[in-house]
Amino acid sequence: MSKQIRSLSTRELMAQLARESDGLSIADRRDFLKKGMLAAGAMTATTFAGGAVAATGKNLPPMEPSWGRKLGAGVVDKPYGVPSEYEKEVVRRTVPWLTAESIASISMTPIQDLQGIITPNGLVFERYHAGVAQINPQEHRLMIHGLVERPIIFTMEDLMRFPSVSEIKFIECPANGGMEWKGAQMEALQFTHGMLSCCEWTGVPLRVLLEEAGVKPEGKWLLAEGADGSHMSRSIPIEKALDDALVVYAQNGEMLRPEQGYPLRLLNPGWEGNTSIKWLRRLEVGDKPWYHREETSKYTDLMEDGRARKFTFVQETNSVITNPCPEKPIVKPGLIEIEGLAWSGRGKIKQVDVSFDGGVNWVPANLKGLVLDKALTRFSLVTKWDGQPWLLQSRAIDETGYVQPTLGQLREARGTNSIYHKNSIHTWKVEATGGVKNVQIS
Amino acid sequence: MFRSAKSILVAGLSLSLTLGTAGAIASEKYGFGKTATAEEIQGWDIDIRPDGMGLPGGEGSVADGEALYEQLCATCHGLFGEGEGRWPVLAGGEDTLTEERPVKTVGSYWPYASTLYDYIRRAMPFTAPRSLSDEQTYQLSAYVLYLNEIVDEDFVANKETLAAVEMPNQEGFFVDPRPDVSNTRCMENCADPSKLQIVGTLQGITPVGHFVEGADAPAASHHEQEQKERQMHGEESAEQGHQAALSDSAVAGRDTYDNACQACHNSGIAGSPKFGDKSAWKDRIGQGMQVLVDHAINGYSGDTGIMPPKGGRSDLSDKQVEQAVAYMVESSQ
Repeated sequence: MSKQIRSLSTRELMAQLARESDGLSIADRRDFLKKGMLAAGAMTATTFAGGAVAATGKNLPPMEPSWGRKLGAGVVDKPYGVPSEYEKEVVRRTVPWLTAESIASISMTPIQDLQGIITPNGLVFERYHAGVAQINPQEHRLMIHGLVERPIIFTMEDLMRFPSVSEIKFIECPANGGMEWKGAQMEALQFTHGMLSCCEWTGVPLRVLLEEAGVKPEGKWLLAEGADGSHMSRSIPIEKALDDALVVYAQNGEMLRPEQGYPLRLLNPGWEGNTSIKWLRRLEVGDKPWYHREETSKYTDLMEDGRARKFTFVQETNSVITNPCPEKPIVKPGLIEIEGLAWSGRGKIKQVDVSFDGGVNWVPANLKGLVLDKALTRFSLVTKWDGQPWLLQSRAIDETGYVQPTLGQLREARGTNSIYHKNSIHTWKVEATGGVKNVQIS
Repeated sequence: MFRSAKSILVAGLSLSLTLGTAGAIASEKYGFGKTATAEEIQGWDIDIRPDGMGLPGGEGSVADGEALYEQLCATCHGLFGEGEGRWPVLAGGEDTLTEERPVKTVGSYWPYASTLYDYIRRAMPFTAPRSLSDEQTYQLSAYVLYLNEIVDEDFVANKETLAAVEMPNQEGFFVDPRPDVSNTRCMENCADPSKLQIVGTLQGITPVGHFVEGADAPAASHHEQEQKERQMHGEESAEQGHQAALSDSAVAGRDTYDNACQACHNSGIAGSPKFGDKSAWKDRIGQGMQVLVDHAINGYSGDTGIMPPKGGRSDLSDKQVEQAVAYMVESSQ
C-alpha cells in the first residue's frame, strides 16, 4: 500500500531554495515568498490542533474514565441531535473583510475537518445576496411559464408527488480560490478551498417538470429565479435543463436547510454554484438569455485584454490536499496518509497524482470510497515523513482526460483579473517542524 | 389492528386490478400542479431582457431619479456612485478593464442597460426589495445611466428609450472557450527545480484564530469582528449592552431591528451609528427620543450620512420604527 517517495531531488531543491532566498527583504510582497520559507518556523511552533480539550490523567488507563461511572442523558434528550461539544471548532467561517456585511456574503465549509465525501448539512458553505429567506412551504410555489404549452404552478406537495431521484453532487462557488489569482493570501485551507460542499440531493429531474409544461420548439433558454429578497436570477441553456439539472427539496436525507434554499432549489450538477438558484420560485422558458446582473456584472471572467468571458458555467477539474494542510500540520514523523479531495464538473475523477517537490516528480495516489460523476472524490497516498521539507501538490485528471493545470498555465491564458474559476494545482509547503504554509509556485 | 389494515389494503388492490389501471405508466403526463392564470404570471414575471422584453409602461426622468437616488441609494453607493465602504461602485472606471485593478461599473462593464432596470426592480433597495414602483425604477435607472455619462440630464427612461441605450462595453463579452489550457500528465522531471519560484502568503489578513494560538488575525465572522473592533476601542460589546434591562417598547422593537434596521446599523453603513457603539450614539441620544424617532420615520440628512425615511422600509408602521429606535438607543447607551 505504502508508496515510497523518491525524495532524491527534493532535499537538494529545498536546500537550494533556502540558499537563494537568504537575506531578502520582508517588506516586498513578491520577495516575501522566498523569505517566508525561512521565517515560517516560529509561527508553526504556536500551531495547535483543533479545539480538543487536553485529556486529564484520571480518565486514562489504568483509571476507569468518569463517563463509565455514571449515566448519560436519555432518549430524545435532544430531539434533533447535535455534534459532540468537543467538535465546537468544526464550523463554517468567513473572511469578514471580503464583503460589506453578512447578509450579502459567503462562508466556507471546514473541509480540513471532514471525512469521506459528504458535507454535513449544517456545514455546507453559505452564499446569500439578501440573507436567508424563511419560507413557509405551504405558501411556496414554483411557477413554470413562458414558451410552454401549459404554464403551471406547483405546490411543494405537487412536487413531492413526482417520482424522486437522489444523487450525490458537489456544489462549488466559482470564486473558490479566487482570492489568490494575484498571489497567495489565505493562510488556511478553509479559506483557499472551502466554498465547496457535496451532498446527496433529492428531488425531481427538471426535465420531468419541463415535459409536464411542454416546452415549445423555440424555447432555448430558461430563467431561474429565487423567492428571497434578492430574487437571484440566472439564464440556463435548455440543454442543461433537459440533461441533468434537478429541482431538489432534500439534502442528505432531510428537507433542505433554509441556508440551502428551503423548501426548494435548483441544482445544476458540476456548474458554478450561483446557477443552482436557491428558494426557487420561477422558471421561465425563453428563446434568448436574459443577461441579468449575475451573468454580466458578476460571474463573468475578465481577461487581460479587457474583454470578458460570459456563461462560464462549468467548474473544471480541481483538487486539494486536506491532510496535511495549514490547519492540520504533521504532528510527528513516521507514516502519514496524505489525503485530499478531487472533483470535476465534467464527470468522474479518473486519477490523482501527488508531488512532494513542487511538481517536478509525481506519484499516483489511490482513489478511495465512492467515485461518482460530479461529486467530491477522496484520494489517498500513504508515505513516510521524517522531517524533510515538502512542496506538496495534487493534480487531478477527470474522465474526459482533462489534466488540472498549473497556476502558470492559467495565468498565461487568462491573466490575473478573472476572479472566478481558478482550478490550478495548489501547493502546501511542509516545513521541518511539520507546519504547513500556503505558497504559490510559478 | 394490523390485520384489519391489511385487509383494507388487499381490497383496494383488487379493486384497482379489476379496473385495469395497474402497471407502469410510460410517457403519460402526471398532470400535477394547476395551470397558472395570466394574472398570476403577471405578478411574478418581473424579468427584463436586453431587447426590452418585460419593460413596463410608464417613464422616469434623470431629474426625478436624482432625488430618489440620494434618498434611497446614496447611503451605500455614494452620492456619485463611487460606493461607500465595500458596497458596489456604480459609476466611473472607464478604460480600467485592462489595468491591474479594474473598476467594473455599470458604465465601464455592464453590456446592457436593461440589466439595470431588472436588477433594481428585483433586488433594490437592499433593505427593501420589491418596494419600488415601475416609475421609480425607471427614474433610478435613468439616473445611474446619467451618473455614468451614458445619457444626458434631460433623458427620460421608458420602454423604448431604455432598450435603445447602447452601453460602452456591449461588445466586451464572448462565450466561454474553456477548456482553454492543456496540461499533460507528466510524472518525472516535469519542471526545472532551479527555476521554481516560491511565493509565500500575505500574513495577518486570514482568520486563523481557530488554529493559531494568540494570532493577531481577523475574526471568522462579521459579528465577531465587530465585537473585536469594539473591544479594541475599549467599548462594551453589544451583547453586554443587551444585559441592561430593556423597556417594553425596546423589547418590542427588537424584531424590527433584526429584520430591517440592522442591515445598515449593524455595520454602520455610510456613517450610520452602529448598534451598541456608545460614542456614536451619545450626541444623538442627547437630542432626545422625539428627534431621533422623527428622523427615523421622516428621514434625515446629517454630516456623516443619510437616514432614508424608515430606512426605506415604508411597510413599517410609525410605531414599529419608534420601538426599533428605543431598542437601538437602550442598547447603545
